[in-house]
This record gives sequence, C-alpha cells and structure tokens, in this order.
Amino acid sequence: MAVIEVTDLRKRYADLTVLDGVSFSVEEGEIFGILGPNGTGKTTTVECVEGLRRPDGGSIKVLGLDPVKDGRKLREQIGVQLQHTQLPENIKVWEALDLYASFYANPRNWRELLEEWGLADKRNARFGKLSGGQKQRLFIALALVGNPRVAFLDELTAGLDPQARRTTWELIKQVRASGVTVVLVSHFMDEVEELCDRVAVFDRGTIVAIDTPAGLVDGIDAEHQMRFTLMAGDMVELGGLPGVTGVTRTGNRVVVTGRGDFATAVTAELARHHVLVSDLRIDKRTLDDAFVALTGRSFDSTH
Amino acid sequence: MTKLAVVELKLLTREPGAIFSLLIPLFILVVFGSSIEPGDTVLLPMALAIAVGLVGLYMLPTTMATYRERGILRRLSTTPVRPGNLLVVQLILQLVLALTACGLLLAVGGTVLGAHLPTGVLPGVLTFLLGTAAMFAVGLLIAALAPNGRAANGIGVLLYFPMAYLAGLMQPTDQMPDILARIGEYTPLGAFRQSLRDVWAGGAPSPLLLGVMAAYAVVISIAAARFFRWE
Repeated sequence: MAVIEVTDLRKRYADLTVLDGVSFSVEEGEIFGILGPNGTGKTTTVECVEGLRRPDGGSIKVLGLDPVKDGRKLREQIGVQLQHTQLPENIKVWEALDLYASFYANPRNWRELLEEWGLADKRNARFGKLSGGQKQRLFIALALVGNPRVAFLDELTAGLDPQARRTTWELIKQVRASGVTVVLVSHFMDEVEELCDRVAVFDRGTIVAIDTPAGLVDGIDAEHQMRFTLMAGDMVELGGLPGVTGVTRTGNRVVVTGRGDFATAVTAELARHHVLVSDLRIDKRTLDDAFVALTGRSFDSTH
Repeated sequence: MTKLAVVELKLLTREPGAIFSLLIPLFILVVFGSSIEPGDTVLLPMALAIAVGLVGLYMLPTTMATYRERGILRRLSTTPVRPGNLLVVQLILQLVLALTACGLLLAVGGTVLGAHLPTGVLPGVLTFLLGTAAMFAVGLLIAALAPNGRAANGIGVLLYFPMAYLAGLMQPTDQMPDILARIGEYTPLGAFRQSLRDVWAGGAPSPLLLGVMAAYAVVISIAAARFFRWE
C-alpha cells in the first residue's frame, strides 16, 4: 500500500522554478531515499509532503490525507526531523522528549527512546552541552516520540563522524524493522546505498530516476574496467566477448574495458581455457556513476 | 499546553536575562531609595517603568526572535501543536515576569524604603496593563523585524536608552529640555511613567495618556502581526 502519493508537484518562488512536476509514491514499511545535490528541490518536496509548504500545483496524499487541508490530523501520524533546527540551549534532554511527547495523542514512552538512542546517560544534560552526534540522535528521537507511521529525516547524518554515522544507520534500520515508513533526504551516496529500499534521484527540480540503489547502478551503461594478473596458461582472445570494448596487456597485467556485465563473460572464458589469474579487480560502479549517467554531470561538481 | 507552559517557565528561570530584569530595577530602587524622603511618589513609578521596559524591550523580543532563528517555531509546526501556542505561552510568562519584577519593587519600596504606595488600586492596575501592553507591542514589533535573536537583543538595547531618557527615567523630566520632556510624555514608556506618577500622587491618570498607551498597544501590535514571519 502506498503511504505517500505525490503527483505532478510544482512549486515556484518568484521567477525561480524549484519543483517542475515531481511524482513518486512511497510504499508502507520501506526506507525511501530522496537523493540529489543541494538545491535540487529535495527539501522543498519533503516540506510540501509534511504540509509545511503549500505547493503551487499537483496533488499530495499522505496516509490518505491532504497535508494542507488535513494538516492537524496528518501531523498526529508523522514524525519530522528538520535540517537546521535547534532546541533552546537550556532545555534538558528529558524535558524536550517529555514536552514533544505531550503534543501527540498516542506518544511512545520517551524513556524507551532515551535508551534506544543511547541518550540515557545524557537525560539531564542541557541541549547546548550536547555533542553534534547527541543532538542529532535527540532530533531523531523527537521525530519518533509521537509514535509516527511515517518518519521524515532530512540529512540525518550531516556533521557526524564516520563511527556515529554507522551507528545511526543501524538505528534507522531498526526503525524500519519496527514498521515505520522512513523518508530519508540525503546528499550522501553511501548513506542512500546502505539504507534505502528505493531512491528517487533529484536533479534541477525533477526526478530523473526512481529505482533500488542496485537497480540504478545496474541501469547505467557506462564503460568500466576489470584488471587481473596472468598466473598460468596462455592468454586467450577476449576482444570478441559480449560487452568487451578493449583489452590491453602490459607484461602479465591485463586490463579489460567494457559495458554491462562483461566481467562474468570474461571470467567464464578464462576458466574454460584454464587460465589462472590473480589479483582480479572489477571496478565497482556506484551511485555516483549512476548520477553522472542520469544527469550528465558529476554529483560533487554541483555543490 | 500546560506542559509547554511548565517547560517554558523552567527555561525562563534558567535565563540570566530574566534575573537581570528583576535585579536591575531593584538595584536602582535601592541605590536611589536610600536618599528619598518617606512618602516619596517619584522613585517607585520610575523603577516600575524601568522594569516593564526591560521585559518588553529586551526579554520578550530576544526570546521570540531566538525561537524563530533556531527553527523552534518551524519544528513545532510539524507537530499537532500550533506554533502560535508557544507565542501565547511566552507572552503570558513575560507578563508574569513583569508582574514579579513590579511586585518585588513594590514590596521592597513600600516596606524597607518607606516609599508611598498608591491607594487607587483600579487606576494602578489599569495603568500597569496598558503600559505593559504598549511596551510588549514594541517588543513584538522588534521580534517581528529582527532577523535573529542577537539582532533583536541589539535593537532592544538600542531602543531602550532613548526611550528611557525621553520617559524621564535617566533624569527627572523637570531637568530635561522642555521640548524633549513634552515629546517624552507621549512615548509609550513616558506615558506609562507619567500615568504611574499620577496614580502615586493620588489622582487619576490622564485619560489622554491612557488613550496614548492603548493606541500604541493596538497599532504596534497590528504592525508586529503584519510583519511577523514564522521562519
């Protein structure tokens, strides 16, 4: 069942078109990624879905509700972590959770959330004294304290160190396991690859592709390379195999260039002729490559 | 809503500015109060006006602009609670703060220092309410226009000194240039001090000055509401 359905969403600010016909749907229980460089309309899209912004055109249904008309009813059932928001410096961790829990009709027990998100020993600490990672965990806990059916997390690991990011990812997987649908806005490829069941790739106010991370990577038709070192046996002709576009050999070192799944054909051919190779490497294609293939520009150049 | 009020009250008591708003007027009262004659009708109205001015121009706009700057209002608008509730709670708490400051001044001034306390309760309450409303309206306008908490703080302080001077809180009005004293009487803080003074002197405050304060409260509040941004 689709919990979020967005059709032909449009939004302009003065003469700047921010969203130019965005459509997607999010299924119950999945982690849905909204990926793209900064300034491509990701956050605007999510804010329209949350009811924070009024779209200029198109339709949005979240849990069957219209975010503008049924805003109050909808906000009982969603949890939101926003980018660039803070809490008052002097509020204590437990007070923030207790306060936000009081906003909802059927909140979670915030004491459990303190434990789950590793904040139990920071219970009485003031917000201003928390580290970046602790603040981020508190924001996620606040997004979940209303016992939401859908949680929106915007750049949830921005500013976290690698260790803290890993920990956060594991916790997000637990959130999904508990049955909460998660919408994850991110400009980190690795995060999306690790967490998301499906991803919408945003570029210049539109969605250029929606697929699983693996599907996006497989869908790209860019050349990539495999390399190996000949150990025993004579080198066989590889140039005629499907997908292979070039073979170069320097001493025992061989580099094969190709498109699609040519590497399987190459290894099969080598095995058939009993050619032993070592040090076999296939360049792993990533979402970065997929983004370049989809948009014609590199992800990082857009920052 | 109750929980919101309780948490905001706790936050207010943790705010050093709130303590200052209570202590600065009290300090002024005690320092100058040692040299007043028993039955003095000048000093307490001045101290009360200073206290309400500090809360309205300094505490209120800084708190509200900071809440907007930190995205707290925006974060609230993603919950079932309307962010307007937070503003209402803040207004009530700042009113409580102003009342506390004034209560403290009256208690200390009336007992320890032997200053005169007015007998007319109703005119006193009316003057307090209208004066506070006028000052809070100015504070709300600052909160609406200031881009962030620090700017609100700066504007509040910057505005406080000329307003306090014109209101006759820095030097007695009879020592001020006549024209400034006349103008000052029609500023929000000046009208407030003068009306308090009238109450203390045992008379009724001038309807004109009460009207001036009410007009400030209404007009400036409307402007503040018009310019207020949630984010």
